Amino acid sequence: MSIGRGEPASGAGTSPAAGLARPILEVDNLTVTFGDGPGSVRAVDEVSLAVETGDIYAIVGESGCGKSTLAYALLDIIPPPGRVTSGEVRFKGRSLSQMSRGELNRVRAAEVAMVFQAAMNAFHPVITIGAHVDHTLQAHPEVFASRSEGREYFRYLLNLVRLRPERTWDAYESQLSGGMKQRVAIALALVLKPSVVVLDEPTTALDVLNQRLMIDILADLHRSLGVSIVFVTHDLALVAELAGRVAVMYAGRLVESGTVDEIFASGGRRHPYVTALTAAIPTVVGAVSDVRPIPGEVPNLAQLPPGCRFSPRCALAEPICQEQEPALLQDDRGHLVACHVANRLLGVPSK
Amino acid sequence: MDNVTHRYSAAVARPVLDRVSLAIRASEVVSLVGESGCGKTTLGKLIAGLERPSSGRVRFGGRDIWSLRGKEAKAWRLSVQLVHQDPYASLNPGLTIGSTLGAGLVHNKLARHHDLQEHLVALMRQVGLDATPEFLRRYPHQLSGGQRQRVAIARAISVRPQLVVADEVTSMLDVSLRVSILDLLRSFSEERGVASLFISHDLGVVRYFSQGGRILIMFYGVVVEEGPTEEVIAHPRHPYTYLLLEAVPVPNPGLARQRAAARASEVLEGEPSGTGCVYSNRCPFAEAKCRDSRPEAVEVGVGHWVACYFPERVPAVGSVPPVGEGSGGPLDVRSHEGGAKLVGGSTGDVRAGGIASVDG
Ligand SMILES: Nc1ncnc2c1ncn2[C@@H]1O[C@H](COP(=O)(O)OP(=O)(O)OP(=O)(O)O)[C@@H](O)[C@H]1O
Ligand SMILES: Nc1ncnc2c1ncn2[C@@H]1O[C@H](COP(=O)(O)OP(=O)(O)OP(=O)(O)O)[C@@H](O)[C@H]1O
Ligand SMILES: [Mg+2]
Ligand SMILES: [Mg+2]
Repeated sequence: MSIGRGEPASGAGTSPAAGLARPILEVDNLTVTFGDGPGSVRAVDEVSLAVETGDIYAIVGESGCGKSTLAYALLDIIPPPGRVTSGEVRFKGRSLSQMSRGELNRVRAAEVAMVFQAAMNAFHPVITIGAHVDHTLQAHPEVFASRSEGREYFRYLLNLVRLRPERTWDAYESQLSGGMKQRVAIALALVLKPSVVVLDEPTTALDVLNQRLMIDILADLHRSLGVSIVFVTHDLALVAELAGRVAVMYAGRLVESGTVDEIFASGGRRHPYVTALTAAIPTVVGAVSDVRPIPGEVPNLAQLPPGCRFSPRCALAEPICQEQEPALLQDDRGHLVACHVANRLLGVPSK
Repeated sequence: MDNVTHRYSAAVARPVLDRVSLAIRASEVVSLVGESGCGKTTLGKLIAGLERPSSGRVRFGGRDIWSLRGKEAKAWRLSVQLVHQDPYASLNPGLTIGSTLGAGLVHNKLARHHDLQEHLVALMRQVGLDATPEFLRRYPHQLSGGQRQRVAIARAISVRPQLVVADEVTSMLDVSLRVSILDLLRSFSEERGVASLFISHDLGVVRYFSQGGRILIMFYGVVVEEGPTEEVIAHPRHPYTYLLLEAVPVPNPGLARQRAAARASEVLEGEPSGTGCVYSNRCPFAEAKCRDSRPEAVEVGVGHWVACYFPERVPAVGSVPPVGEGSGGPLDVRSHEGGAKLVGGSTGDVRAGGIASVDG
């Protein structure tokens, strides 16, 4: 049997213009709303992005900014009372909203797999890991010629996530550490050979050594399987270490997106929020005195400030920022920024 | 702490803390670092008197905390306050913020009913919260994570402690809030002479918090390195400290690529050793000597101690020249072989350019 997927892992940092094939996943002007009437909130507010085959794509933002909701929308599994109120998500050009139930189930199972936030808590305590795998294989007999071939592939995946197959297969979740469970969950999500895997906060509950291991493993999986990776995180350092392309969200809106080098380039055209977020990370390199907190907190989605949502915390804010919501403007390389001040550099008057 | 050993159960062979000694002076900022499960919270609980050590002594102001009685015991209990990782779990969901904070003040006679409101307002200001009656009437679920953590800190400092033990207090917070919470905790030591023990697995956060203070590195119940903060960060002398430093993700893609290319391989596999050096099963430099007898801490710089027979073998941080100048995308660099200077673990799957682990 052939192991891994045929597609080569394209350079994760390539510019969108270089991607000749159509994006594997597209989010087009998507709005997701919770509730009705005046009390309703838009957890995802007119967001567009495109994941190319072979990308490692990061969706980054702080707590409550709508990252998980956006990730759920990629599989059309938004928990009620949330619903898509405008726009759509397309997988290989097909709108999820136009798919039949059967087609959607097939996409969710074998094309776009999800590893949920705190996935390590998702295993049934009295079922072995092997039985979880068998259950999944049984539900999708079309993927492998035989059950044993599927099991063999899972063992291969366990090696990739650096676990010992012989010890993991018969283990119960209580016998594995948090970091190990997280890795089993990833292997399980990959067993049906999806073309995209979406991971919600893959490192959040892990200690630094397990975070480092997770970064190395995800890079390995990307390289060996050619699988496209979308991950959601609040940790910009993880983004810098792993992603090729990045979308930054703030209070439901996309505020910047581009390649990882564009997002982190100092001095370039950047959203002030992204600049502030980078400076707020205490780390082991550089001067401690350069670390700066961001004043204030993320706004409640039900009580958004007028104009730019970041303006009350922004060091560069001008009167216009409190009046008009800035448009998301693109430069000739596809780098998008939604900021009145930063976009002045483009020479494009914002309306 | 003098030579403290702690086990939760006599049935478990290796103690959770093994002959730990440490001293924290007034207004000092000390951090304790180590991986998940290495015994950090246990050490914090012992200092706060929530666990009694199996052997050794925990002293506060020179007195064994377990010998204190009556008034002295009461005073001590207020002097040492613990702040937890999860502010939601540590605040009573059925009590308003005002009641939570007020109860401690009144019970400990730090405020009376007629001036309670004044005290509460002052307290809220100190921790940077909205000092309004409306805010004090809120319940924990009506606050953001950062606000809850500030309330938990307010509760701890409201009883005027001399030492605050802060256990992973920022790990559940957004990155943008971390620094302000760290600044808040630091301000108590600077402005009021409150000492703090800060517990974390992240050397980046620890470095920021204990500026001008000390760091202790613990590997499964044994303090393997201790020293002034910048000294330990810039010149780690224990292989485990080096590993923890190299693991911290950096918010700079260019630097991340360079570090990835230069990073030595390491093994996460290997139980803490019951004999000799606790790190010997994982250590790339371990020799027979390390497996036979436990290395005593030696002073390698002023106030910089390390429990290792071969501290000179630890590479200088960032000294390994980057290999394979970046050609393709960020991930291509990571795959380059070579540059691994720490390779040599006897067990498991050792790869260049990252942490290898086969802990099934
Ligand atoms: N079940 C729900 N009912 C009402 N509103 C909800 C619900 N789930 C989410 N929301 C709203 O959607 C917003 C975004 O939630 P989401 O879980 O997507 O955020 P997130 O960025 O993943 O946050 P976190 O970092 O905390 O996981 C929240 O701020 C909240 O206002
Ligand atoms: N009350 C208890 N009873 C028995 N064993 C315990 C108890 N509390 C902790 N342990 C064990 O003691 C060891 C150290 O636990 P501790 O919570 O101190 O580690 P930690 O360094 O704080 O970990 P983390 O970073 O995950 O919080 C672990 O093996 C843990 O399972
Ligand atoms: Mg989420
Ligand atoms: Mg702990």
